[in-house]
Amino acid sequence: MTNTRALEFTGTDRYYLDPELRTIVNIALAMEKPLLLTGEAGTGKTQLALEVARALSMDTEILRAKSTIKGEEACYTQDTVLRLNDARFGPGSSGRNVDSFYDYVIWGPIGRAFRAEKKVVLLLDEIDKTESDVQDNLLDILDECQFTIREVNETIKAKVRPAIFITSNAKRELSDPFLRRCYCHHIAFPSPEQMREIVLLHYPKTSPALMEAAITIFYELRERGFEKPPATSELLNWIGALDRLGTVPSPKNPPLTGILLKRAGDIQTYREGGRGRRYA
Amino acid sequence: MTVPAVPYSNALFVDFVYLLRDYGVPVSPEDLLHLNEGLEKGIVKTLDDLFIFSRLTFVRRKEHMDPFERAFALYFYGIDIPPVAEGDMDLFRTKAFKDWLAQQIKEGKLPERAIHSMTPEELMDKFWETVREQMEAHSGGSKWIGQKGNSPFGHSGNAERGIRVEGQSQHRSALAVIANRRYVAFTDSRTLRANNLAQALESMKHMKDVGAHDVLNLDETIRRTARNGGEIDLVFDRELRDRISVVLLIDNGGYSMDPFIDITRLLFAKLHERFEDLSTYYFHNTIYQDVWTDFRRTRRLPTEQLLQRSPETRIVILGDATMAPEELEAPHGSLYYHARDARPSMYWLRRIAGRFKHSVWLNPILRDAWATAYGHWTLNRIRSVFHMEDMTLGGIKGMAEYLSETR
Repeated sequence: MTNTRALEFTGTDRYYLDPELRTIVNIALAMEKPLLLTGEAGTGKTQLALEVARALSMDTEILRAKSTIKGEEACYTQDTVLRLNDARFGPGSSGRNVDSFYDYVIWGPIGRAFRAEKKVVLLLDEIDKTESDVQDNLLDILDECQFTIREVNETIKAKVRPAIFITSNAKRELSDPFLRRCYCHHIAFPSPEQMREIVLLHYPKTSPALMEAAITIFYELRERGFEKPPATSELLNWIGALDRLGTVPSPKNPPLTGILLKRAGDIQTYREGGRGRRYA
Repeated sequence: MTVPAVPYSNALFVDFVYLLRDYGVPVSPEDLLHLNEGLEKGIVKTLDDLFIFSRLTFVRRKEHMDPFERAFALYFYGIDIPPVAEGDMDLFRTKAFKDWLAQQIKEGKLPERAIHSMTPEELMDKFWETVREQMEAHSGGSKWIGQKGNSPFGHSGNAERGIRVEGQSQHRSALAVIANRRYVAFTDSRTLRANNLAQALESMKHMKDVGAHDVLNLDETIRRTARNGGEIDLVFDRELRDRISVVLLIDNGGYSMDPFIDITRLLFAKLHERFEDLSTYYFHNTIYQDVWTDFRRTRRLPTEQLLQRSPETRIVILGDATMAPEELEAPHGSLYYHARDARPSMYWLRRIAGRFKHSVWLNPILRDAWATAYGHWTLNRIRSVFHMEDMTLGGIKGMAEYLSETR
């Protein structure tokens, strides 16, 4: 085979990589398409991008999306106040030149990723928080791998196309044109078998008895239809705590359930009859 | 003129793309070109790679995952998986099941007499067993895919690009993945359940509304003030959050409604933050001069009072809309002898629909059965008054759209 898979991600010591997801990541890398990851909290969406960067020793640029963000500031901003200040009082020993526009540009994550000499991982985290026209703008930029600096009408073009990862918590649905330009993958919640692997990565010394009991109780609780079902991070914290206590939880009255259930209503339901509402 | 990398006559999977369309997966010519581009690049080495790569290429939404997986199973393995989950009674309505049953009878595997003595569950298990056997027969071993004649692999001239399945690969095989049916809960045709509630919630969040103009727009204020020669001109925007009133009217008359009541109440309760207020009332079969404020139907609220609410209120009525025709149309139609309402229920329903332009009737009876369900006469009468949706993910989406439309 030729070097179409020059970049091959095979997982890391800290991250459990499902073989299917591994293929997906590698296809996205080879086809140079943005990979949009959706899935509930605790499925490791953000972590995946960071681990890809670590495994392939690439730098990471992260855009943490907010509802107020405009597409442009993800690329660059111009520090007009500083420039005004320098124009009035002189740049001093800073080495800035008031006449030079670029001395006052602050590059955003996309700007930095495009200007990098080497391929980087560009992570757009929680993209669904932004307005939909911002999303479309961003995708235009990422598709063409270039953006224009309005003030000087100059185009910044990526030296190397970054490996783009996008995560979404599905707070609101993304537009069809947006989805059309990405590979979309919904990370399903880990199965009990996968969960064992994940726990072992974090707590290699977990005893089989504790593991079985904890995982059984955990998945049983998730089934019950709580308002906020426990997720991976809760399970990991719980197992960590149980490990320290040195006990194996019994399904009848597991200790420290406060780590697993967060909502007052859920805890209440759990304490009263023990059973949450179950919807067939 | 440049020669395309893959000449059209030679492009693989054209008929697969059409199959996907038939299964309700929106696909475009660009997708097909992208797929062939990937094949040229040598990304696909096994059928399992092809499964993942083509899924990435064609599927963007979770609700299209299951149709895709079923289309893939049919096209590449000749296995016809019905669009329902295991254990779902809707199986009996599917073509795959009917074909299978006819086949079983024809081959003498299931004598007709045996079928009559089997419970529906047994018959269902038997069906899924066959599907699983088919899937197992395909995994493992080294063989060329496409012997059934519905696969393009190994066709003349394409052989060198055909794909050889090398037994067990490092991945779980495509079929094993498909067999899990991980995404069946997300299909639009799926009945609303606890496990796909989140999906329904997602679509409900689209409900947009216009609040009062009470958020100060500072930028615009400054601009206008400057234009105004310094005379302050305050500009207010509407609040971004949806603040709407919702009235949920639930038919809790029959046992058949029970599972749907819980799920609907949960659905709306989860959204309570989004609503200005949410009131729930109950009725039995249809609405007359009173509705009830409690589940046991002891405390009454005159329907007239309900009709006083703002016309902007969103009305969601949950009920199967099936009953005896006289309950709907006749004066004194109510089943309850103490209800002295001379006006037929239709009168009240028309008034509700007339007052509230955003009202939807949500029906647990699936849309395909609306024309034939027991009691379909009243159902369709009510449908002529209310916008009706069924309790599937698609139906909830339709409801959310209808409720948020500005009319």
